[in-house]
Amino acid sequence: MIIELGHYALVLALATAIIQGVLPVLGVRRGDPSLMGLAANAALVCFLLVAFSFAVLTFAYVTSDFSVKNVWENSHSLKPLIYKITGVWGNHEGSMLLWLLILVFFSAMVALFGRNLPETLKANVLAVQAWIATAFALFVLLTSNPFARLVPAPGEGRDLNPVLQDIGLAIHPPLLYLGYVGFSVCFSFAVAALIEGRIDAAWARWVRPWTLAAWTFLTAGIAMGSYWAYYELGWGGWWFWDPVENASFMPWLAGTALLHSALVMEKREALKIWTVLLAIMTFSLSLLGTFLVRSGVLTSVHAFATDPTRGVFILAILVVFIGGAFSLFAFRASHLKAGGIFAPVSREGALVVNNLILTTATATVLTGTLYPLVLEALTGDKISVGAPFFNMTFGLLMLPLIAVVPFGPLLAWKRGDLAGAAQRLFAAAALGLLAAAICYYAVNGGPVLAPFGLGLGVYLILGALTDLVLRSGLGKVAAGVAWRRLSGLPRSAFGTALAHIGLGITLIGIVTVTAFETETVVEMKAGAVVDVGRYSLRFDGMREARGPNYTEDAGHFTISRGGVEVSEIWSSKRLYSARRMPTTEAGIRTFGLSQLYVSLGDDMADGGIVVRIWWKPLILCIWGGALVMMAGGVVSLSDRRLRVGAPARARKALAQDHDGFRSDRPKIINVIDSKG
Amino acid sequence: MLFWILVAILTAAVAAVLLLPLMRAAEPLPSRHSHDIEVYRDQLGELARDRETGLIGSEEAELARAEIARRMLAASAADQAVAESTPKRLLSNRLAQAFIFLCLPAVGLCLYLTTGSPGVPAQPLAARLADPGDDVNILIAKAENHLALNPQDGAGWDLLAPIYMRHGRLDDAVAAYDRAIRLLGPTPARMGGYAEALVAQAGGLVTAEAQNALQKALALDPDDPRSAFYLALGLKQEGKHADALAAFRKLAARSPADAPWLSLVNQHIAELAAAPAGPGPAAPGNPAPGDITAAKEMNAGDRQAMIRGMVDSLASRLKEDPANLEGWMRLVRSYVVLDQRDRAKDALDDGLRAFPATGAQGKQLLALARELGIDAGGEAE
Repeated sequence: MIIELGHYALVLALATAIIQGVLPVLGVRRGDPSLMGLAANAALVCFLLVAFSFAVLTFAYVTSDFSVKNVWENSHSLKPLIYKITGVWGNHEGSMLLWLLILVFFSAMVALFGRNLPETLKANVLAVQAWIATAFALFVLLTSNPFARLVPAPGEGRDLNPVLQDIGLAIHPPLLYLGYVGFSVCFSFAVAALIEGRIDAAWARWVRPWTLAAWTFLTAGIAMGSYWAYYELGWGGWWFWDPVENASFMPWLAGTALLHSALVMEKREALKIWTVLLAIMTFSLSLLGTFLVRSGVLTSVHAFATDPTRGVFILAILVVFIGGAFSLFAFRASHLKAGGIFAPVSREGALVVNNLILTTATATVLTGTLYPLVLEALTGDKISVGAPFFNMTFGLLMLPLIAVVPFGPLLAWKRGDLAGAAQRLFAAAALGLLAAAICYYAVNGGPVLAPFGLGLGVYLILGALTDLVLRSGLGKVAAGVAWRRLSGLPRSAFGTALAHIGLGITLIGIVTVTAFETETVVEMKAGAVVDVGRYSLRFDGMREARGPNYTEDAGHFTISRGGVEVSEIWSSKRLYSARRMPTTEAGIRTFGLSQLYVSLGDDMADGGIVVRIWWKPLILCIWGGALVMMAGGVVSLSDRRLRVGAPARARKALAQDHDGFRSDRPKIINVIDSKG
Repeated sequence: MLFWILVAILTAAVAAVLLLPLMRAAEPLPSRHSHDIEVYRDQLGELARDRETGLIGSEEAELARAEIARRMLAASAADQAVAESTPKRLLSNRLAQAFIFLCLPAVGLCLYLTTGSPGVPAQPLAARLADPGDDVNILIAKAENHLALNPQDGAGWDLLAPIYMRHGRLDDAVAAYDRAIRLLGPTPARMGGYAEALVAQAGGLVTAEAQNALQKALALDPDDPRSAFYLALGLKQEGKHADALAAFRKLAARSPADAPWLSLVNQHIAELAAAPAGPGPAAPGNPAPGDITAAKEMNAGDRQAMIRGMVDSLASRLKEDPANLEGWMRLVRSYVVLDQRDRAKDALDDGLRAFPATGAQGKQLLALARELGIDAGGEAE
């Protein structure tokens, strides 16, 4: 019965979303505050209903209720509890339910923390959110219902795809969806503003925390996905320019552009139209990504199951929302007032350059991703656009962007001093070049571009630090004064610096791994020794082992350096019994920021086994940099100045709520206030 | 019933929460402009801070301040204008309430009744295992769990095999019979069941492996009707119509008059008696004319299974009598057609053992292999 209640709650959530999508809009048109006020209640109810329904599905997974078809298809009673839970979204139906859950979660957040928003804007935003929720709830219920039942119930499940039986599944999809779907709030704000016909600096201020939050989650989600693919797929690569990866990368690029252009709009009320367009584009790319991954147009580990009706349904959602938003934009754009004026050399100018490059890069990735699909549809030819294309186009585009990044924070608003900024960055650039030169000498004859790339990375990091140093006046004033000034800097300044430093770290990681990694493929028998970089690996033999729902052959390797044993690695091949599906579990050992990666290949007839060994120098920088970027997002999000006061009435209410906290309210409350 | 009560309560609760704001007397809203003014005030403060830290030049700061102040003034003016027009008190409220009252149950029930299964209870595995009742799937799962821990329990496999067979899990049935026979030794019932599972697995064809098992079953119990029937069917499928007819007739004569299989046996006898008792096929493994007509009427899957069965019987025949060049060439080609390249390669190697690659006939085989794009292993090189 509980299962059916969960199903009914989902249907009821759809009905609530319909109400939430219709009445508040009417309320705004007619100036009826009670109808507008309904939106917040509906958003909360909708979230509770979907959350209940999601909890019920999780319950079915945990108790191995195979009368639920979805559970039978993707679970197994012997699976460890954590994978029973993560299995809820490790399949098409469940992951769409998670998508919906996060969407209504964001609506609920807007409803809860949107007290400083004008009622009309809030009602419209929640209504647009509800339209999206309606579309996806219908999609889930009509084409991918996770609550379909089986009578009689089978006795055992078919198990989850073994590649997905990993802790990565617990982290990657929820984070990625928080990012993807988080941009729906920006989209709803944009559409709501277009409906009202008013877009100004205040709008950018209100949207900013949502953009930042979504961007932060997406950064983490992509980095996590990349690391997961790296250690689970056993190919030793960390980014494949796979269409599915691109699908998540495009919203990130567009979102990064949005983050920066919203800044210009907020401070200077310039780039208004452009920012709104970016907000729409970012979420459109999220939707496009969902379509590409879910429709089965692309086959990959993410596609789970393919069904043409689903593809058509998502395509319809795509057309309605993207088409509708762009039509509205085209209709309204001419009525929008252009904003402030600025000189080409100014912080605004630098951010415009950032936007130009980022959107071009997005377009490049989009082309590379869609071109093979379009070509196949038109001519039937199958081609694949791979790393060479992206490295040539995307890589080249990134070079000028990285060179410009440190300039942005150093330039003043409205009219900047380029020569001055260049002078101030001279130290950073010189040190970057020095790093490049040292690196060149160290590997004399090595890849020519690598030192240059490394130098760029160092320059990025130092450039970001330069900004902080200059602002604190370190070296010019007494240390105590400099420290006070530094701690007095707004958190968003630290956020900016951290994000840019993170980019530099990632760049260093990418360049080092690309240029200096070594790959060794050898056939080894027990006792064989292989030298990899400064380490040597001895293969000690294979051992059979049995897990809860798999059997494995694990190979043991001893790592020694200079004849001294320093560590060991287990690398294994597993066979999952329910699906008769093999997986490789690469053995990875971390030394500082570098890793030794061992993956087992085929058994040879003579008792040996093919072993692939990679030495990946500084590879952890790639994801470490992403973490630093994410930290930048969080720090920026916690900036108390993001908080915008609510007008008199709401302020009174707030004061009552937080009586006694007023003078020294914890930061978190400020953040919460700032979100809405 | 309890379910529907809960559904009603849930719906009512949602409706109540949604109706709540409509019931309350609406407070007049602060105008949109008052929100804007808050933002502009905030911006002015930020501008002052930026000015202090030198993030914006003093001249530019002055200009920006003027910009913001202008916006602020405009907003205040608009605010006044709005404040004077009082909000209309509305009767659309009633309609909205009606909409909520209708929409929730209408959408909720209509959609749920089409997509849901209201009567089906939750069935957590633990509860089902604790009290299986007559839940066959659970009984099977329990037996499987038991056998996974005690794979040497022959009686368990023996019990499970026919259940698999009844549930159409043919691969599992074959494996279970195989295990039971290995652990407990052959009996006519086990061998016959094994053969039957093999035949079902091959889509109705009595393969060489099945024939082998049937013969063993008959050796244990010459009167086993099931084994006799499948062996006769195998003869018929091979095109040995006269032998098949004799075997079916023998089975019919031995069976009691009320045996349930008798009608099927008689049907086969009638078919075979009607068919022209022509000479046997020229080359071993050639399909009989009847089989070819049958193949034409079959669907693709059955036809594939039939072809496979014929190829299998050809292979087993060639194993007994390898001196048949034409047979080997047909076998290799058939495997390639069936896309079983590994088997084609094995067959090629076996053929080359009978006709060494140095001889003219061996070269013929090699030429065929080249034409089909398979390379001979070991001996040929």
